[in-house]
Amino acid sequence: MKKTGFMYDQGLLLHDTGSDHPESPERLLAVYSGIRSANFFRLLIPVDAQRIDFKWLETVHNPDYIYYFEEICLSGRTYLDSQDNRMCPDTFDATLLASGGVVNACRMVMEGLIDNAFCAVRPPGHHAGQNFAMGFCFFNHVAIAARYLQKAWGIERVGIVDFDVHHGNGTQRIFEEDPTVFYYSIHQHPTFSFPGTGREFEKGTGAGLGFTLNSPVLPGQSDQAYRRHFEKDLCPAFDSFKPQVILVSCGFDAHEDDDMSDMKVTTDGFSWMIRRICELAQRHGSGRLISVLEGGYCIRRLPELARNHVEILIGC
Amino acid sequence: MFVSRSMIKEVVTISRKTSVLDAQKIMKANRVRHLPVVEEDGRLVGIVTDRDLRSVYPSITLPPEEQQKEMQRLHEYTIEDIMTREVVSIAPTSTIQDALLLIEKTRVGAFPVVDERGVLIGIISVRDLLGAFIKVMGVHEPGTLLGIVVEEKVGELKKIVDVISEEKISLGSILVARYWDQNKRAVFPYLLALNVSRVKKRLQAMGYELIDPLQWHLGQGENGT
Repeated sequence: MKKTGFMYDQGLLLHDTGSDHPESPERLLAVYSGIRSANFFRLLIPVDAQRIDFKWLETVHNPDYIYYFEEICLSGRTYLDSQDNRMCPDTFDATLLASGGVVNACRMVMEGLIDNAFCAVRPPGHHAGQNFAMGFCFFNHVAIAARYLQKAWGIERVGIVDFDVHHGNGTQRIFEEDPTVFYYSIHQHPTFSFPGTGREFEKGTGAGLGFTLNSPVLPGQSDQAYRRHFEKDLCPAFDSFKPQVILVSCGFDAHEDDDMSDMKVTTDGFSWMIRRICELAQRHGSGRLISVLEGGYCIRRLPELARNHVEILIGC
Repeated sequence: MFVSRSMIKEVVTISRKTSVLDAQKIMKANRVRHLPVVEEDGRLVGIVTDRDLRSVYPSITLPPEEQQKEMQRLHEYTIEDIMTREVVSIAPTSTIQDALLLIEKTRVGAFPVVDERGVLIGIISVRDLLGAFIKVMGVHEPGTLLGIVVEEKVGELKKIVDVISEEKISLGSILVARYWDQNKRAVFPYLLALNVSRVKKRLQAMGYELIDPLQWHLGQGENGT
């Protein structure tokens, strides 16, 4: 049995996107309630959310962008650049809290206080780039975590697995020239889904060529297609890259009941995926794995998806 | 949508006296496949393609010594001997649509762009045209593609666009497939947003059929889109 950390904070609920936006506080409450009501809850080790140290934030985001985001946010504007990126005056602080919580989970894993962790955060992060917000995302928590692990702990190879149904264009772009961070994403085919990137031929550039891998899946596909891609693409790639720590961009929006996508992945399909990722972490990184919530919009299904996810982290 | 906006303006050119061997080197060094041939005053007189050059090179199936001999012979040839004189060119005021139709008709891969005096001022290739269309369609921009089946009647497109703008979503592009099903058209708006669920719901409430991507990619042969 693993020592599993769990990061959640009520401050993340203050990020108000308005009544008609799918990235709602109710999502996080659903995730939390699923985990809170599980009989394994008492086994979880709490990970505090805290405002991120700007030293780490700036390993990924431009100071100009950070201050632009803060300024627009405090000005009372209701969105950043696009209606997708809705916000309220608390959004900047909530986002700092989320990023800081993820970094904290990484620290605890590296200090050996926990083996792995699940960070129930919002806003999500994987569409955010060095100097832009996109697709409900403002700061790229997973990218910041990867840089933190490298700079604070000397980790040489970080593996990122992103199974959110949308391609993590922000994360890909941040690391596409970097051979020390392997970015793997499985998502709905870009012709049929936001943001329109993540095609098979996007494999990284320059020194990073071969350290980005995308598995686009056509609409309507289910667990079987995901399994096939994991076995054929992800597993051999990570077996050869040998990541010392694995970060997971954990989006539950490929679920069959989630109306943000046309994928048909079942609850069991998600369990299978995280189990397989845990095996890779065990094989190459002594089990070190930090999973970070991205999308997932089906309030009815989120409790069971989150519960199963964490249960597997404990049991793997 | 004019050729002058999408053409390459810094064109690599050669003269009719350039040797065939030099032309090949120039083509390789600049990674181009078409070399317009111009006079000193800039007037276009011909064009040479990589295929023209390849056809005068000795075949690699020849024994090495014969290849050498043939190569020696090539020194005597200049571009004048092999260039195409009847060049299919295009005017800067022609449109991208003109260029596309001209490609379909002539099967030429690149058109020199010449002004009314016959002076070369640019070149536009199939690749440049593809680039122009990628831009027009917004393929590089993050967004979500919708597919909507509509009756063939006046005003349908307006209703759809109204919903999109009321939801404050930027429209990247909109394509219309005029023949989808009998008496039906398909409209494909490319929305520059992730959150399109409200637009989808509103369109469905208005009675529109949204194309199920699964059915769409399975049935793609039948509709010819």
